[in-house]
Amino acid sequence: MIKLQHIEKTFYSKQTEFTALSNINLSIESGESFGVIGESGAGKSTLLRMINALESPDKGSVSVDDVNLTQLSKKKLRLQQKQIGMIFQQFNLLNNKTVADNVRLPLTLHKYPNALTVDEVLDFVGLADKKNNYPQELSGGQKQRVGIARALITRPKLLLCDEPTSALDQNTTEEIVEVLKKAHEEFKMTIVVVTHELLVIKALCQRAALMEQGQIRQIVQVNRCESKEIVVPYLERAIEVLTHD
Amino acid sequence: MTESISLYIERVIEFSPRLIESLWETGIMLFFAMIAAILLGIPVGTLLYLTADTRPMANRFLNRLLNILVNIIRSFPFLLLVVAMQPFIRQVYGRATGDPIAASFPMVVIAIALYARFVEQSLMEVPRGITETAQSMGATNWQLVWKFLYVEARSSLVIGFTTAVISFVSYSTIMGVVGGGGIGDFAIRYGYQRYETDIMYTAIVLIIILVEIFQWLGLKLAKRIDKR
Repeated sequence: MIKLQHIEKTFYSKQTEFTALSNINLSIESGESFGVIGESGAGKSTLLRMINALESPDKGSVSVDDVNLTQLSKKKLRLQQKQIGMIFQQFNLLNNKTVADNVRLPLTLHKYPNALTVDEVLDFVGLADKKNNYPQELSGGQKQRVGIARALITRPKLLLCDEPTSALDQNTTEEIVEVLKKAHEEFKMTIVVVTHELLVIKALCQRAALMEQGQIRQIVQVNRCESKEIVVPYLERAIEVLTHD
Repeated sequence: MTESISLYIERVIEFSPRLIESLWETGIMLFFAMIAAILLGIPVGTLLYLTADTRPMANRFLNRLLNILVNIIRSFPFLLLVVAMQPFIRQVYGRATGDPIAASFPMVVIAIALYARFVEQSLMEVPRGITETAQSMGATNWQLVWKFLYVEARSSLVIGFTTAVISFVSYSTIMGVVGGGGIGDFAIRYGYQRYETDIMYTAIVLIIILVEIFQWLGLKLAKRIDKR
């Protein structure tokens, strides 16, 4: 379970200060798929980054499975971080490493007794044939699949997604959402998704926090659209949107 | 025409033992400078990067100190650095003039400072997201540097090294002042002081060829390892 209590965070630049988070209280159940939605600058990414200690709060506490991250030594913090997977808007792949080497990367940093194999995860995200390619040779959607595979290989108990589809077009977005959904069903980890795209949350999450100006305004139960929409090819969709009322 | 060409060839052959010797001396100076750039310039440049504000090892004092040191060395007119280091070299090495190893000391110092800056700049080009990814995986700073930053910066590091080595060639031509020898010294002695213009131009052409080879090798390697 993830628990954020009384979180305050302010960023200071030379002249200005910016309150990124103010009085955040939130708990997310284990195994839950939780969305955080809001306009840019609402503080949602900062909130997400608190959960794996990429940011630390000015006040308040963050705990994951009853471990208070704000009080850990650097070494212990790294041991926490290794159990948390993360995917990014810009994918953040190493462009000088092959797909397989990118996916394997977390395993070279720490020991993971229950890790999956590179082939297993690449199969799972549907990129088995791209194993020896470099990221430069992949499309945006494929790059994000590599990002997901890299996060899944450690079998994380928690998967953080920071605007996972914001750099992708709509059809690719749906593909990525399907992969994440499948990952949640298969591996049963907790997922926290930050995005400004309502449909991503609608398809993926059970609950969602709505953020505005650094505060959580409301937490809602998501009425999921379970019926799998058939992915409409891009051109068909374009014709539909452009020529209909 | 053919007569003057054969005369020229004869003179080159006549001077070739001294020419080869001076190339060897240049080689010694470049060797020490390159080793120093790799073994010390890379760590210093990496520390410059890591200790800056908002970076993983932010440390204002250490960052300032390294910056000041690098700036002082780089702003020294090289000839004065050579002269200023004489007492130190004599202490450490026993003699400060008359051989290429003594002449390598100032080369080593400038090599570290110069390449450290290039390394810092190369690391700055790596997207911030890469550092963030490493941290999100719980990487240590050591792992961040070796498994993320150097991997992504490697072709830029090679290009920086190439540029640095070409500067080392240029710096090495000054070392004749303290009897360090080298191809530059050869050109000055024969061309400028003895008016053997043809021999001087031969030496200069050799220097140009040397630089071209370094540039070509550097770019080729950089391209081969760049998959971005």
